[in-house]
Amino acid sequence: MQDTVTTSALLDPSHSSVSTQDKSSTGGHTSSTGPQLSKPSITPVPAKSRNPHPGANFHRMRRIIAEDPEWSLAIVPLLTELCIQHIIRNFQKNPILKQMLPEHQQKVLNHLSPDLPLAVTANLIDNENYWLRCCMQRWPVCHVAHHGGSWKRMFFERHLENLLKHFIPGTTDPAVILDLLPLCRNYVRRVHVDQFLPPVRLPAQLRPGDQSDSGSEGEMEEPTVDHYQLGDLVAGLSHLEELDLVYDVKDCGMNFEWNLFLFTYRDCHSLAAAIKACHTLKIFKLTQSKVDDDKARIIIRSLLDHPVLEELDLSHNLIGDRGARGAAKLLSHSRLRVLNLANNQVRAPGAQSLAHALAHNTNLISLNLRLNCIEDEGGQALAHALQTNKCLTTLHLGGNELSEPTATLLSQVLAINTTLTSINLSCNHIGLDGGKQLLEGMSDNKTLLEFDLRLSDVAQESEYLIGQALYANREAARQRALNPSHFMSTITANGPENSVG
Amino acid sequence: MNPPGSLADVDPNLDEHLSTQILAPSVHSDNPQERIQARRLRIAARLEARRREALGEYLDGKKESEEDRSKSYKQKEESRLKLAKLLLCGTELVTNIQVAIDTREIHRRVEEEEIKRQRIEKLENEVKTSQDKFDEITSKWEEGKQKRIPQELWEMLNTQQLHCAGLLEDKNKLISELQQELKTKDDQYVKDLKKQSDDICLLLERMEQQVKNVMKTFREELYNIEKAFEVERQELLASNKKKWERALQAHNAKELEYLTNRMKKVEDYEKQLNRQRIRDCEEYNTIKIKLEQDVQILEQQLQQRKAIYQLNQEKLEYNLQVLKKRDEESTVIKSQQKRKINRLRDTLNNLRSKYAKQIKQFQEENQSLTLDYQSLVLQFKELQKAMRHFALIDDKKFREIWLMNEEEAKDLIARAFDVDRIIHTHHLGLPWTAPDFWFLKNVGPISQQPQKSATQIVEEMLMHTEEEEAEEAASEPESYLDLPKQISEKTTKRILMLLCDESGFLVESKLLSLLLPLEQNECYLLRLDAIFSALGIESEDDLYKLVNFFLKYRAHRLSSSLQIKSCSQASVEKASMEETSMGSELELAEQTEMEGEKEESLVEGEKEEEEETPPSPWVIHPNDVIKILEAFVMGLKKPRDSRAPPRVQKNVRNNSKDSEYWQALTTVIPSSKQNLWDALYTALEKYHIVLTQRAKLLQENSSLEQQNTELQVLLQQYLNSKINSELQVPPTQVLRVPKK
Repeated sequence: MQDTVTTSALLDPSHSSVSTQDKSSTGGHTSSTGPQLSKPSITPVPAKSRNPHPGANFHRMRRIIAEDPEWSLAIVPLLTELCIQHIIRNFQKNPILKQMLPEHQQKVLNHLSPDLPLAVTANLIDNENYWLRCCMQRWPVCHVAHHGGSWKRMFFERHLENLLKHFIPGTTDPAVILDLLPLCRNYVRRVHVDQFLPPVRLPAQLRPGDQSDSGSEGEMEEPTVDHYQLGDLVAGLSHLEELDLVYDVKDCGMNFEWNLFLFTYRDCHSLAAAIKACHTLKIFKLTQSKVDDDKARIIIRSLLDHPVLEELDLSHNLIGDRGARGAAKLLSHSRLRVLNLANNQVRAPGAQSLAHALAHNTNLISLNLRLNCIEDEGGQALAHALQTNKCLTTLHLGGNELSEPTATLLSQVLAINTTLTSINLSCNHIGLDGGKQLLEGMSDNKTLLEFDLRLSDVAQESEYLIGQALYANREAARQRALNPSHFMSTITANGPENSVG
Repeated sequence: MNPPGSLADVDPNLDEHLSTQILAPSVHSDNPQERIQARRLRIAARLEARRREALGEYLDGKKESEEDRSKSYKQKEESRLKLAKLLLCGTELVTNIQVAIDTREIHRRVEEEEIKRQRIEKLENEVKTSQDKFDEITSKWEEGKQKRIPQELWEMLNTQQLHCAGLLEDKNKLISELQQELKTKDDQYVKDLKKQSDDICLLLERMEQQVKNVMKTFREELYNIEKAFEVERQELLASNKKKWERALQAHNAKELEYLTNRMKKVEDYEKQLNRQRIRDCEEYNTIKIKLEQDVQILEQQLQQRKAIYQLNQEKLEYNLQVLKKRDEESTVIKSQQKRKINRLRDTLNNLRSKYAKQIKQFQEENQSLTLDYQSLVLQFKELQKAMRHFALIDDKKFREIWLMNEEEAKDLIARAFDVDRIIHTHHLGLPWTAPDFWFLKNVGPISQQPQKSATQIVEEMLMHTEEEEAEEAASEPESYLDLPKQISEKTTKRILMLLCDESGFLVESKLLSLLLPLEQNECYLLRLDAIFSALGIESEDDLYKLVNFFLKYRAHRLSSSLQIKSCSQASVEKASMEETSMGSELELAEQTEMEGEKEESLVEGEKEEEEETPPSPWVIHPNDVIKILEAFVMGLKKPRDSRAPPRVQKNVRNNSKDSEYWQALTTVIPSSKQNLWDALYTALEKYHIVLTQRAKLLQENSSLEQQNTELQVLLQQYLNSKINSELQVPPTQVLRVPKK
């Protein structure tokens, strides 16, 4: 029906004359021919055959039979439409966006190609839809939630990540990254790089055996295996908040060499200088990079008294007691909230120093010492520290060779402490008695929500009972979260209300 | 949703409360306030009832659905728990793998450590043994060098070779062992890798399973919950529908009832209307008759009115005529008035012009008068000047005339006195004393003597005392100044000296420094001047007041210590300078003699008594000076204020005493004396007459004597003359010459 209306409107001049001429006769006729008018190329023949009034038909035929065989009744596009098309086509040369009306902007953005050079689009386009298309085109899997829900940010972060991943020092032009810097500096908040390529060394292929054999030669060669220096980049990114680095090489295949995986002192120093200069950094992660005590201390020293740093992750490295002592010092000289030293080589002394720092700390809420070897001495020290600490909520001590004495102290802590919500003691040797003591401690605790005791030689019964206690705590916490003021009394009242709503 | 429910719960109680309240205030009460209250309550109750109706049903429905709702809630809770459990278990299942791997890793590490330790031990042992062996071999090389015999050497070389081979073999063995180990490790690594990949696969599988499970269960639970809600909703709908229908039915029934009621009422009203109509018709008729009667009466009245109207019309016409005439008259008067007005206007104009002229004239006059006035003022000033001049001159003249007259008078008086004296001494033989009158000493016109300023007095006083000191012996103590108030000059001086010494603080420090080089007296004078100005002492009187005050103060002190007065008096007499005390006493005596008659008051007497005790400045303790001064200044303040006005009138001479003065001059000779004189005069007159008579007689006598003598001479001559001789008869013969 709409078609008929539009066509009749379009063909008004001629059609009106027709309708005046034979109004009575074409009353029902127009309705029947209406739909056909939408296909002008076909209409003439049936119209001619059907119409009993040739005089009236003559006008219509003249109207419909066009000299141009490609003549179409489709609407001539509006001038604005044409302009927009033109703008889209020439956007790369002459980017016009801000001067347009919002609706036109929208149209342009919907039709812009995602392949436009970043220099044009980066600071001009804020539209999320455009960057969504860009992202979708480049990467099949996109987790926008990992990038703060912003597609633009995601695009730039992943773009930068890609560049860094495939940067080969000495071969790739550093300008590639530095050119991008002014474009992405306002959007990149998180840099996550899980590989750094070493410089290409053709002669190195000749003597791989030597390097693996003799340390001295390896050291001599070391300056040449430095990776990309992050200093300029980090200094250029004004909103950088998270730095997640893995000095590693992926997919090396048959070109495997041990020195591909080196995190050199120079890398370490430059990285330390970079993060020291970056005052917006909140999260710093350096994992699986063979960071040993000395390097850890270099990095930690640069992080001392950092204004905003909240999370430090040095898991899967080679950090020993000295590094742990450095981390303990950092605890008392920063606002660190999360510390992850999982899968390192921290032993009892390191754990003791950490415990000493923890005893009077008021910032740290999560401590992860999984897969270390702090043993009972360290465990006891930590348990003592927790008796005075009022801040820590999460503690992971899985796989630390702990046994009954630690469990005894921890059960006392459980009875006192009201901040801890999660403890992990899996993969230890707590033993049956230790389990019972923990159960006792648990009976006095109302805040703990998670307590992992798997594979720690605890009796099934006590583990089950602890699980019950945790369940009760969780329920209480849930009620508290639902209505903080009076959670117990309004349970019944809440139910119907919710169901009605 | 909940709040209305809870409110409805409360409502019944509230309603009951209200119903009980309604009973209390009655609508039919006499008290209007109460009635209002009652009505309000009734309205509230009605509203409440309506609301309760609406809410109550809702509440019922709700109560019914409470169970269902709890059912759905249960369902929800159940599914929540189920899901939580599922999630927990699932995560546990998934993380179990990680935990297992962790434990395995730990075990591996422990083992690895152990093996490492063993290996290192082994290597160390090996190093030690091989070193021993090597040392042995090297020592044997030394031995070999000493051997000369080839066989031995060869043998030794062989053994060395064997040894070396053994050593090498050991090393090789170790190496192979290590390589073997490495190989096994590699295998192990490969296995581990495989296992880990398996684990990862398992993990993925489990994760997937978990995800699937969770999705499934979530979906199921969602479905369940939705179903529960659906069922609940259906029930709710059904119950509501039922309720609605019930309500609708009730509504219909009520509607029907209303309708029948209405019909009945309509019929009723119709009947009433008919009845009303009939009654109204009757009423209408009666009213009509009544009104017709009224109309007739009114017509009659109309006729009467018409007649009156006619009459009035005629009257009015006549009036009109009269008024017309009057109008004409008034027009005439008007024209007259107009003319008059014109005339008056002319006169007004004239007067105006005159007035303007007058104004001009007066202005001119005014100007001339102001000029005159100015000249007059000038003249007046000149006149004043002249007057002042003349006043001065007059004054002078007056004074001169006065002096002249006085002189004349005094001459006359002197002459009178002389005469009197002569009369007294010569005529009466009485001793004459010159009468002493105040006016005799007066020279010049009588006027208040100008008050001397305190400083002048002091200056004079000082001068005098100085003079006295200079001619101490020669001059007898005498007051040059007319110090009236029984105070000796020296006493005053001492008091002032004391004052000067003690109240140095009243003098400016600058002045003090200036005073240093001056003479003592001058110094005192200037200092006293400063002090007086500070204290506000200006005139002579003030100064004496001050001195008196000092003395009184001391007297007061003395009277308080009356018992020791005598001894103190004695001591004071001894101590004080005798001369001064004597002088003062003498002076006092004189003055008391002179004014004794006038001053008779007891106070004065007392004072004099006190004064008799030698007034010694030492009695006044220097420390008291300040107190005295303070008291004095406090006392002086009051009189000071009322002093200003008399100064202004100083120029006006007081001539009240003049006539008295002159009168006194005339009466310098008292009337008794005049009487005496008169008597004397008459007596003397008589005496004079007698004397003149005597004189006359004496003169006669003498003239007669002279005649006598002359005659005698003549006679002698005649007698002695020659003629006589010649004469025939000489007369001498005739005459008898008297014989003596």
